[in-house]
Amino acid sequence: MQRISDPRTGAEAPPQPPSLRARTFSCMGTVVSLTLPSASGADELVAATAVVERLFAGLDETFSLYRADSEASRLARAEIKLPDASGEMRRLYADAVGWRLLTEGAFTPERPDGVLDLSGIVKGYAIQEAGTSLLALGLRDWCLNAGGDVLVSGSPGAGSPGSGSDEPWRAGIVDPQDRRTLIAGYPLGGANSANGANGANLALATSGSAERGDHIWAAGAGAGAGARAASGVRGAPAFRQVSVAAADIVTADVLATAIVAGGMPMLDRATDGWNIEVLAVQAGGELLATPGFRR
Amino acid sequence: MRIRAAVSAALASAGILLAGWQSGIHLEDTRSAAASTSAGTNGATGTTGATGTTGATGSTGATGSSSSGSGSTDTGASDKGSSAAAGTDSGAAAEPTTGAAAKAGGTYAGSVVQTRFGAVQVQITVKAGAITDVEALQLTDDDRKSIQISNRAAPLLRSEVLAAQSADVQTIGGATVTSVAYLNSLQAALDAANL
Repeated sequence: MQRISDPRTGAEAPPQPPSLRARTFSCMGTVVSLTLPSASGADELVAATAVVERLFAGLDETFSLYRADSEASRLARAEIKLPDASGEMRRLYADAVGWRLLTEGAFTPERPDGVLDLSGIVKGYAIQEAGTSLLALGLRDWCLNAGGDVLVSGSPGAGSPGSGSDEPWRAGIVDPQDRRTLIAGYPLGGANSANGANGANLALATSGSAERGDHIWAAGAGAGAGARAASGVRGAPAFRQVSVAAADIVTADVLATAIVAGGMPMLDRATDGWNIEVLAVQAGGELLATPGFRR
Repeated sequence: MRIRAAVSAALASAGILLAGWQSGIHLEDTRSAAASTSAGTNGATGTTGATGTTGATGSTGATGSSSSGSGSTDTGASDKGSSAAAGTDSGAAAEPTTGAAAKAGGTYAGSVVQTRFGAVQVQITVKAGAITDVEALQLTDDDRKSIQISNRAAPLLRSEVLAAQSADVQTIGGATVTSVAYLNSLQAALDAANL
């Protein structure tokens, strides 16, 4: 089978895997990947990655509790008080508190020991800001993956920047029981989604107890993390992994975290109250899914 | 649906006649007083099934007991025996006058509201100025096969979800991987292939 080189004539050609180019960098304890259609050009990808990396690094500097000199760490040590914190810190705190209200406490910006910890929202916020920057750079087709949380724009099959095709980005979701395999797929973006016109979900976030679930406190309450003050789910978490597809990454990320922490009641509240699709892997490996995940 | 509507309309008419006969109240009076939603034949607690469940557009049935555009009001005046007096007679294209009827009581259909699950219309029953019952008249969308009133997550077999092979996807979602775990992840393989 001969490969037709010009993707712009791909309409009548047999479907081919889109030609992509990716770059990665390490930040916030994980790896961030930016993927663009090859047609965008290598230089553009390098420049775009640099912008995204700078943004992530800046937020990490402020919000990381793993850095002793970060503003978040100084807040945690009570060296500064929240009213004196930076505008960005206070804004994210306000957002997180808003989400705590909306999720009836399932999502919370405070650790059980009372320390302010915004790490549950910082990564989603960073992805969102990075996406805004990419659009501002004039990039319409891209896929940004930060440690398993994904935000896309446009399509992977775009022949040239701005032309766009209808094809969505196809995301796979790892099987928490065997991370070398995929448990499901989900289409993101596509069909002129760069304009946000068609209402397609652009973001997919996954939370779980399999990897680094330490920021989801209710889930660990039964595993020796101590009694949880708020009325949450006790004992073993109901879900091993929860994936949420939404129009924006912060909503997807926060709700995925909230559902893992809040269990079945929070899952029902989330699907009732937000326009999202959810795939939840229960403790025993059984699946629960909203219609959008059904084949 | 059509047949059912006709039958219920006929039943309603019969009911009206019966009720009117028994209580000795002229339908004409009732209609003029409450414009098609009867105020109830036995005093204060009339319930009418005056509804715009024409099963069609959102314009009809937008308000209680408005008739459908086709002229045939298929408003099934309460085929529930519970109502003290069946109100609407079919064929009466009338405007709801909630003001007059509200004091006496009756049932009122709300406007058709478009939700992301389809059109929804609700009917309330008022007795002595208080809502005593709320009922969904319409919970579906005309162009959908099934009535979906909830987006709740349901149990699903693994063979029933949108499948994906790692060769066919452009990105991998999963619980946050550490930088070390990334090395062995599917995402790393994808990134490497696209470097």
